[in-house]
Amino acid sequence: MKSYYKMIKRWDIIIVFSLILLSFLPFVIFSYVQSINITKASVKVAIISVNNKEIDRILLTNHTGIDIFDVYDDDGGLNTIEVNNGRIRIKGADCGDQICVLTGFIYKPGETIICLPHKLVIEIQSVEGSSDEVIISS
Amino acid sequence: MSKNQRTAYIALLAAQAVIISLLERAIPFPFAIAPGAKLGLANIITCMALYTLSTRDTLKVIIIRLILATLLGGTISTFMYSASGAILSFIGMWAVKKLGPNRVSLIGVSTTGAILHNVGQLFVASWIAQTWTVLLYLPVLSFVGILSGIATGIMANYLLSHVEKLNYYRSLQELN
Repeated sequence: MKSYYKMIKRWDIIIVFSLILLSFLPFVIFSYVQSINITKASVKVAIISVNNKEIDRILLTNHTGIDIFDVYDDDGGLNTIEVNNGRIRIKGADCGDQICVLTGFIYKPGETIICLPHKLVIEIQSVEGSSDEVIISS
Repeated sequence: MSKNQRTAYIALLAAQAVIISLLERAIPFPFAIAPGAKLGLANIITCMALYTLSTRDTLKVIIIRLILATLLGGTISTFMYSASGAILSFIGMWAVKKLGPNRVSLIGVSTTGAILHNVGQLFVASWIAQTWTVLLYLPVLSFVGILSGIATGIMANYLLSHVEKLNYYRSLQELN
């Protein structure tokens, strides 16, 4: 055991700790940006986009019940999306890695589910609730 | 080291790295919490190359490894991921190593490499998905990265100090 301690130099510890802190930097920046955006009358909206084109918006605030629907990408790849009491997840997908399915439910503003093989992104944003314009709840 | 010896040594390291990364692909990763996380054992080779070869030759090892690993079972997208990760981690490891052997050991070097590899991959992923929120995944990956980086650092440390030839090459490299 002593040989392990001898192996470790002081800067190793400094580097490891600063790297741990640095890896949380994007998290801090995002929650800061989100906290600016959130106003009191905002509602949560899940934005589903494929290949960087927005295809659907789902109102999550006050959503009840379970909705399940399919989304196809440009090459016919399938993602089954489930909205369950204000939370959203990808229930199933025919992609290779299934990372999007393993992500599970998301519900906080700023959270995302990404399916890279199908270029599908689900992002939760907080939108001003007073202007009830393009928000389509399904 | 003569020129031929060095060429053979570069080829040997690159071949080892390719084999390690192919073997690693066959190991199912046991932790479901971090999909996409890998052990990054090929980092051992990069560490050893960094300590026993000049910067240019280390770069050669990395480039050969990247191209061969892609040809032996990768796609263009995996190539983009691993290339950006490898280049970023090489720059980071090189910079950390510049701190000098008295300040930093192989553990720090390989941990930096592991995390910057993740950062590079996530940058490409966020470029493909066109959203920066992919980077929020970094803490999970870097947790695994730090653990595996420490492990590979210890491994590379043992190899460098116990394999006679490596030890000799290292002392040659430090003389230059």
